[in-house]
Amino acid sequence: MAMIIINGRAVECAEGTPVLKVAVDAGFDVPFYCFHPGLKIVASCRLCLMEMRSKDPKTGEMVWSPRLIPSCQTPARDGMEVRFDSPNVRQNQRAVMEDYLLNHPLDCPVCDQAGECWLQDYSMKYGNALSRMTEPKTVNPKKSVGSKTLLYQDRCVLCSRCVRFCREVAGTNELCVIRRSSYAEIDAFPGIPLENKLQGNVVDICPVGALLDKDFLYKQRVWYLKTSKSICPNCSTGCTICIDHNNGRVWRLRPRTNRKVNTWWICDEGRFGWKYVHSNQRLLAPMLKGARVTWDAALAAAQQLLAPAGKAQQGKGVAVVLSPMMACEEAWLLAKVVRAAAPQATLVTGFVPKASADELFPVGLTDQAKAKFIIRAEKCPNRCGVEAVCKALGGPQATFADFLAKAKQGTFALAWIVGGYSQEWVTRDCSDALSKVSQLIVQDIFPSSLSARADLALPSCAWVEREGTFVNHAGIAQPFDRALPPPVGCQQDSQYLYRLAGMEGLYRAEKVREQMLDKVAELRDLWTPPAEARGMH
Amino acid sequence: MADWKDKDVLHVSEPKLTALERTYLPQVVAGLGTTLRHMFQKKFTLQYPEEKRQMRVQNYRGIHRLNRDDQGRVACVACFMCPSICPAQCIYIVAGESPWPDREKYPVKFEIDELRCIFCGMCEEVCPVDAIELTSEYGLLGYTREEMLFDKEKLLKLFDLTKGYKPRKGPKITGYPKPTDQRGTSTHEGL
Amino acid sequence: MELIKSILASQVGFSVVFAFVLVNIIMLVVTYCIYWERKISAWIQDRHGPNRVGPAGLIQPFADGLKFFLKEDWIPPYSDKALFVMAPVLMFILALIGFAIIPWAGPVRWPWMPEGTSIDTQVASIDIGILYFLAVGGLTVYAIVLGAWASKSKFPFYGGIRGTAQVLSYEIPLGLGLFVIILGNGSLRLEEILGAQARMWQLGDASIWPAWNFFLHPVTFLLVLVTAFAETNRLPFDLAEAEQELVGGYHTEYSALKFGAFYLAEYANMITMSAVLAVLFFGGWHLPGVNGDSASIGWALVRFVIIWAKIILFLFFYMWIRWTLPRFRYDQLMHLAWLTLVPLGLLLLTWTAVLTLIGRQNTWLAPAGEIGIFALLVLVGALRAAPITGRQRDLPAARIVQFD
Repeated sequence: MAMIIINGRAVECAEGTPVLKVAVDAGFDVPFYCFHPGLKIVASCRLCLMEMRSKDPKTGEMVWSPRLIPSCQTPARDGMEVRFDSPNVRQNQRAVMEDYLLNHPLDCPVCDQAGECWLQDYSMKYGNALSRMTEPKTVNPKKSVGSKTLLYQDRCVLCSRCVRFCREVAGTNELCVIRRSSYAEIDAFPGIPLENKLQGNVVDICPVGALLDKDFLYKQRVWYLKTSKSICPNCSTGCTICIDHNNGRVWRLRPRTNRKVNTWWICDEGRFGWKYVHSNQRLLAPMLKGARVTWDAALAAAQQLLAPAGKAQQGKGVAVVLSPMMACEEAWLLAKVVRAAAPQATLVTGFVPKASADELFPVGLTDQAKAKFIIRAEKCPNRCGVEAVCKALGGPQATFADFLAKAKQGTFALAWIVGGYSQEWVTRDCSDALSKVSQLIVQDIFPSSLSARADLALPSCAWVEREGTFVNHAGIAQPFDRALPPPVGCQQDSQYLYRLAGMEGLYRAEKVREQMLDKVAELRDLWTPPAEARGMH
Repeated sequence: MADWKDKDVLHVSEPKLTALERTYLPQVVAGLGTTLRHMFQKKFTLQYPEEKRQMRVQNYRGIHRLNRDDQGRVACVACFMCPSICPAQCIYIVAGESPWPDREKYPVKFEIDELRCIFCGMCEEVCPVDAIELTSEYGLLGYTREEMLFDKEKLLKLFDLTKGYKPRKGPKITGYPKPTDQRGTSTHEGL
Repeated sequence: MELIKSILASQVGFSVVFAFVLVNIIMLVVTYCIYWERKISAWIQDRHGPNRVGPAGLIQPFADGLKFFLKEDWIPPYSDKALFVMAPVLMFILALIGFAIIPWAGPVRWPWMPEGTSIDTQVASIDIGILYFLAVGGLTVYAIVLGAWASKSKFPFYGGIRGTAQVLSYEIPLGLGLFVIILGNGSLRLEEILGAQARMWQLGDASIWPAWNFFLHPVTFLLVLVTAFAETNRLPFDLAEAEQELVGGYHTEYSALKFGAFYLAEYANMITMSAVLAVLFFGGWHLPGVNGDSASIGWALVRFVIIWAKIILFLFFYMWIRWTLPRFRYDQLMHLAWLTLVPLGLLLLTWTAVLTLIGRQNTWLAPAGEIGIFALLVLVGALRAAPITGRQRDLPAARIVQFD
């Protein structure tokens, strides 16, 4: 441990940490653009310069260095003293800000970054009210650097975060700084557009409005967006994300810093994988034998289907397929509901969609331990959680393949099948096998051949409309919040399962989680990443 | 008596009446005189559809209009400042990429719910390009609520109708004002 | 034709026909009263008033009437339905029978009538003329109370109570004032009271001044005028329908034609009251140069026009007052009746009685004495403590604040 003095206040930190990070973590207000905790340090923006007093290597005395030193590049050493509030530092900040704004088009009204732009913030805090620039400004029209990303070079501060990201994290090296000095600009190499699977992160890490997302372009002003904390459901990595929504619509997803799981990044698959939420194809009302019914009638019908099947042989002919898209709490509630009617019902972990292999970043890496980001092959968020719930409840169990095999032999009289996948998932095999099951209750987001022939089809909600807990591939249990209300006509899955389980009032994930704690060890310590200091994300 | 704070109450004594005034008759006669005089005075009322009030065109806050720039295109850049400031939340904008090479963003849809509007004029004040303005038109009439939802075409048409007596405010501000000398002239002079 | 002529030539037949004609004239005047009320209020408030329906808005009263017809006639379910319907009818009937005793135009002789005979242009010439007028006027309060009671609603009820107390209180000074006239003229018949005024005071041979009761009893006129406002529930004494306090007073629950009946009856009452005032104090159809001697149709029409002119002047005065004076507070209203008008009326009555006893009631002594009495009351009032009008008596002692 080292003790350093910042603006006259003693701060404890690990030896060798960049002074900038120590200062920002300790709550000091230090402007910077180019530093990012997930990227290499280049010290190019010159905004974080500080005054430093350290040991003179020759005399061993503590002396103030004669010039300003970039704090991001200076490792903390015990006993050093730095200042960010001296007149020299302030003057440097003002001068650098003036330089950044020389050719800035000041088009904040039409810039999507306005509201979360570091140029705006620093200009207010450290900049000048007036520009002394009288010459015409350099105009550099926007260009498309990839199919999903736009570059407005006018607004760029050349912090090179995006370049370093492509080089160090994605490993694809699409972006570079071309030309020199005041002609310098960011560009993609000719013939190599920015198309890697992590490219959306360059928009997030761009501190200004230079790199913008074509998908979100002009959709919303950022100050209208409300943010909910959530978990990405698209693979078993379980990246923590923010859902930015407004007026009952999701507008974009952003990564939430989580050093244990996804660090600072998310993949494009997750970033743009929410579009199905607002699809107009969704199931929006419970259907009893193909006819629309009210929720009261649907729930009564569910009980009527369960009761006689459950009585025959203690319900051995009943199976419940718990989808790995479900949260742990929902799986628990559904299993409880079915087991209450049919004590010997078979618990099945549902269909797990899989890609060919995990994708490791930087590209070309094969060692998982060295990877900076991994897109898992298992395209569902909660297989581990559902398996843990099944294990905890005991009794007859089956894998999805076993279940299909048994169903083919006509073992099951009633099956409650949960889907909830964003894409068509019912294969030919699957529907053939299930045609032998005489009664079906299907709970899914989209209509399928299964829901069409089901005795009772219940609409399911997308993850943004639900709350609960996902357990990722490594067994880390992470809770997620609800961002939007369910679409008109729908109820949160957990809410109607809650009612079927005979519990009163509104569903809250915490209430169910409390009941599960004794049985499901995985949920005992939930992981919520600590909030990071501003800029350290 | 009551426990109100006596210092909060301003007691005012009644005027003393003279003996004749106590019969009320002189005041009644004076009052009748006053009303009789008013009967023959010039009327204040304007006969509205035929006569219209002379408005102070620059200040009056009436129906909105959406200005056109010098090429006849909508001047709005869809920056969402007006719906952000609007206390009645009556402005709905859908932004899009502009079809013109020299402009970045423009409103695909621009609607003002004139029934929700409270005519505070903040949208006009906040607009960075002087695109939205309140005219001195006050005849806001319609048979249905839908009619009172003014869309972009209607707001632009209002500009065409009113630009004769209220042209769009000066040219767009493109740069910062030049630093002035120390003799105390206004920084905003010459804009 | 002969039948019509004979009917018109008989007093009874003529009275029936005349009553029919008069009701129509009065209804027409009433509708235009509403128009003029709106016009005058507008002028006083520097406005134009109704001017859209017809030239200068002249068709407006018919539009108003049509509106009364077309509106929903709602009877509150909790009301006493029989009384609720009866009240406006009673009010309207009472308002229309009051003018039966008014001598409209003196004698008239149709060309087919024998020379020297004539009939009176009066619906009913009865011995108790003024008492009939007082009785009908007093009955209107029943209509108000009935309507208020039948509504079974609190604001009409307050209005009804106020109306009762007010009309009862003001009938006393009104009666006293009318007694002065009755005493001075020695008759209850209006046509006789009018006849006594339809002449000129003579100075030597020269006619100098009409012998109207107004000049003989000016203070009595003032007294009767004030009480007349209270009797017809007009501002500043319309406490029975004070809209700021009682929503609409006794007719709050009424709508459509029933409300219309109340509304029109108010103006009909005003016309009757104006006619009575004109007859009692301003010589009815008399003007210098016009007298009752000639019974020809032309002169009768002239007289008819004159009395209507006087009535219309009174109506204008009613409206003028309404848009000038604010409403009295209820305690002020009662103070005015019992502490000022009743003593004044008693003194005036006493003075006239004394003069009548010595046979000098028609001399200069009558007005001189009345003015003296008025001066006396002003003097007494000046010696008493100043009236507290604006403040409650139980407030803490006033701290005097001097305003520049």
